[in-house]
Amino acid sequence: MLNEIVDLISKNIPSAGAVLNAAADAKTDSSITVDAGSLFKVAEFLKNNSSMPFNVLQCITGVDYLEHMHVSYIFANFDVNASREFILKVKITDRINGNVDSLVSLYPAANFLEREVYDMFGIMFNNHPDLRRILCPDDWLGWPLRKDYVSQKYYNGIEVFPDHKMNFEDREFIVRQDMIKKAQLAAAKN
Amino acid sequence: MQSRWDIGEPQAPTINKDTEQLKSELLTLNMGPQHPATHGVLRIEIWTDSEIVAHAIPHLGYLHRCMEKHCENMDYRGIIPYVDRLDYLAAMNMEWGYVMAVERMLGTEVPRRAELLRIITAELQRIGSHLMAFGTYAIDLGAFSPFLYAFDMREKILRLFEEVSGARLLYNYIWIGGLWNDYTDSQIDRVSAFCDEMLVEARKYHDLLSMNKIFIERTANVGVFSLQDCFDYGATGPILRGSGYKWDLRKNKPYSLYSEMDFDVPVGDGEFGQVGDCWNRYIVRMKEVVESVKIIRQAIAKLEPGPVMGKVPKIIKLPKGEVYMRSECPRGELGIHIISEGDTKVPYRLKVKSPCFTNVSMIPRVAPGQMVADFVATIGSIDIVLGEVDR
Amino acid sequence: MSTTGSVKDYFSALYSAITTTVTGLWITGRYVWGVKPVSIEYPEIREVLPERSRMRLFNDVLNCISCTQCAMACPVDCIYIASVKMPEGSEIKKTSNGQAIRLQLTQFVIDTALCCYCGLCTTVCPTECLTHSHDYEFSQYTIDGMKYDYLAPDVIAWRDRIVKS
Repeated sequence: MLNEIVDLISKNIPSAGAVLNAAADAKTDSSITVDAGSLFKVAEFLKNNSSMPFNVLQCITGVDYLEHMHVSYIFANFDVNASREFILKVKITDRINGNVDSLVSLYPAANFLEREVYDMFGIMFNNHPDLRRILCPDDWLGWPLRKDYVSQKYYNGIEVFPDHKMNFEDREFIVRQDMIKKAQLAAAKN
Repeated sequence: MQSRWDIGEPQAPTINKDTEQLKSELLTLNMGPQHPATHGVLRIEIWTDSEIVAHAIPHLGYLHRCMEKHCENMDYRGIIPYVDRLDYLAAMNMEWGYVMAVERMLGTEVPRRAELLRIITAELQRIGSHLMAFGTYAIDLGAFSPFLYAFDMREKILRLFEEVSGARLLYNYIWIGGLWNDYTDSQIDRVSAFCDEMLVEARKYHDLLSMNKIFIERTANVGVFSLQDCFDYGATGPILRGSGYKWDLRKNKPYSLYSEMDFDVPVGDGEFGQVGDCWNRYIVRMKEVVESVKIIRQAIAKLEPGPVMGKVPKIIKLPKGEVYMRSECPRGELGIHIISEGDTKVPYRLKVKSPCFTNVSMIPRVAPGQMVADFVATIGSIDIVLGEVDR
Repeated sequence: MSTTGSVKDYFSALYSAITTTVTGLWITGRYVWGVKPVSIEYPEIREVLPERSRMRLFNDVLNCISCTQCAMACPVDCIYIASVKMPEGSEIKKTSNGQAIRLQLTQFVIDTALCCYCGLCTTVCPTECLTHSHDYEFSQYTIDGMKYDYLAPDVIAWRDRIVKS
């Protein structure tokens, strides 16, 4: 099914550069990658084409790979006879000003979902009507779900991780475990 | 690696000039986060024109527990208690959705008895969740006693779950590869007895609330969600079915052993008002209770003795790749998106597509033009659980 | 619905409102007589908890081999274990299911305030010494009181009550 979608996209929108990321086996899902610049056109085509329409945008997620980021769109078709779904991916290489077109005008569901991705990954969505943080407070700093995220020390005068309330025994426990392992290894060598 | 200071200051909320001028004439009402009618800590900023809602802006995040970030440092078994806490009223369904995604990546064969028991457990939980929706919806609209009837039956489900799994609300019962414990024969008999009782009680609920003239006046023709809106906003579950579209993953894209079960998918038919109004969403839930009883009875008839735990490695490591698994929860479709980098004990990224999150995003669409009291009825009919919205 | 309309609509709406409400009242009314109260007067009457109930954790330190598997399985990291090697020449004790105790347990603390009662630690325990007891009344005045040191003599004394056989 994904092959047909790739064919359809590359036939109608050659500039999208649609590539199929085939899964190794049936245990995992395949996905399609398109260029970030032509995402809106691809989504428009997916929604309005006659042979294989996708009427629902189920989910938008982001993934951070440190060098680049992915935004995954999961499209589905709620049709009793032809239920289908697939993952469409967009690669974003710019971690500072990463941006991609918003799909709100096509799928209003994208409104909250894109806000969540913006909140967690700091990816800007062009032409989004109301791009604010949604789960974190408006004045929170940093993008929590990035892999290199370090939380801020103070938030509005409140200490974020107060030392006197931290559970240090937990940390000490892990250190102790390492020491025990080292001692056991040394004992085994002798 | 980039410093976190390089990414710029957070964006200030953009203010629309036109609506800002409008604001001088509208009264801003703050509903929540501690409002009983919002079923949790949902805060909605309503701009009212006398008693008509002009704008409704949901503010989420009061129950944000960074679950997705936690899961990136948690082994696959340890995530199950966290998934429980998403939708705390339907924890079994949440566990099942997550566990199915992991099982698919592992390629685990789940024993037949475990699958059937999972169906029984999940459908019991669905009944419990819908009873909770029924009771609290009645309270929203000013009827107190249906709540007590609903809790009477829900208590029986929770008692059973306590005996089977050891906990009343957050079970950690459905495990990767099967189930923690088996049901005993006497517990299965109790499930059958519960099914008989539930059908009698369901009729009582209809007399108590569904057919009550005052209730119908409060809910029929109120908060109408058109089918196109439901597709546009990605609404699923009783909301989509209440708008008259026959869509249920258990029927249309069967997982587990649902393909062997014979049941109907109730849809709203606009008996007292328009299709897609609050009463239809409510009645779809109540009809689903009866369908769930049907499924449970069939599953019990198919039960055979056998193991309830499949073969699972002691340390779970998923192969490289990603998987998106959908399952039908009481509030809609749960999607679990796991991305694994291979050869690690933790997922690289776990995304939960929660049904309530998309359903909440419909509130700004349907609110304008409603009375404030009708707005409360609309929110109640969406049946929000905030643990799932904020994650 | 019929907020505007003829007089007939008005009275038919009134009629159906009264009849449906009376139907509901009849259902609730039947509970006035003949239905036994279901409330349990808690401090005086205590229900027996089901066999699998997961309440406060209890570790039988005499059977613990300090394998730290429970601490690794814990999703909230609330179990703290420390152990040292047995002194040279001391006799090696065995647990009740025959495993040799090679490490001497020096600390076994569970922070019950953090515990989420998921039961994952009890399932990985190789000697089945870590179990969920049925104690559910353990409120404390300070949060430090929620930390239970299972090597303390007063906690070891629970063993007779909790551990069967």
